[in-house]
Amino acid sequence: MSERQDLTVREEALSERNRQIPTVAPMVDILENENEILLFADMPGVDRKDISINIDNGRLALSGIREVKPVGAVTWEEFADVEFRRTFSVPQTIDVAGVNAELKEGVLLLHLPKSESAKPRQIEIKVG
Amino acid sequence: MWTRMRDFDRMFQAMDLLHSKLNGVFQNDDRPRLPGAAWGVAESGPRTNMYDTGEALEIRVEVPGIQKDDLNVKLQGNYLEIRGNRKAETPEGYSTHRVERGATSFTRSFTLPSEVDAAKVEATLKDGILTLVLGKAEPAKPKQIAIN
Repeated sequence: MSERQDLTVREEALSERNRQIPTVAPMVDILENENEILLFADMPGVDRKDISINIDNGRLALSGIREVKPVGAVTWEEFADVEFRRTFSVPQTIDVAGVNAELKEGVLLLHLPKSESAKPRQIEIKVG
Repeated sequence: MWTRMRDFDRMFQAMDLLHSKLNGVFQNDDRPRLPGAAWGVAESGPRTNMYDTGEALEIRVEVPGIQKDDLNVKLQGNYLEIRGNRKAETPEGYSTHRVERGATSFTRSFTLPSEVDAAKVEATLKDGILTLVLGKAEPAKPKQIAIN
């Protein structure tokens, strides 16, 4: 009896993040213009604080954890707790300090600005 | 006799090969997607969850990137219909490298398992999840029965 109690306590002590949840790749759109690369990722149900974006050594890693928090009795469930995770290679010409992200209606939008040296430049020819 | 033994051997080899190939199907899939990826296939609508809290039914729908004005919820008796469409949000002057999300529209309808009161329906949209709380009609609510 006492052993069983011990088990329950330990299960409760586990944080949400330690629980094994399935990982899926979010759907993304990637766009580019002269100044920046734009990345849209569908992450429905993910809270802003549960998203992490890491850029390290030319690799961009996105991760967002969704907790569904069911109420009452489940009649049917087609989506559940999940971790949206996907990794991309980003060119070295991205200005890492200038990257910014916004989350709107479950869609993560990432602006990856190009560094000044990588932007196309018109070169004028001076009249000698 | 020997030839027959070899036949067995060959059969087992084939089975082993099939076995290892089938294992590989699941191991090599390094980019898992949820089954029935909602936005990939046109005919499948968004994924939904339904909960029953006794007093109400709660339906949650995955609708990433859909504005409030582009969603349409209709209730008629215990028939519920959810429509929505997502416009392509490609800003001008950008070239595309990869488009997986795209514009889409869907309709999904349900027959609710119990009668609901149309006056007690709440709909909220947060983080790409549409939540509908449908208060049950009085006769459908659970009742405590006193034992005499």
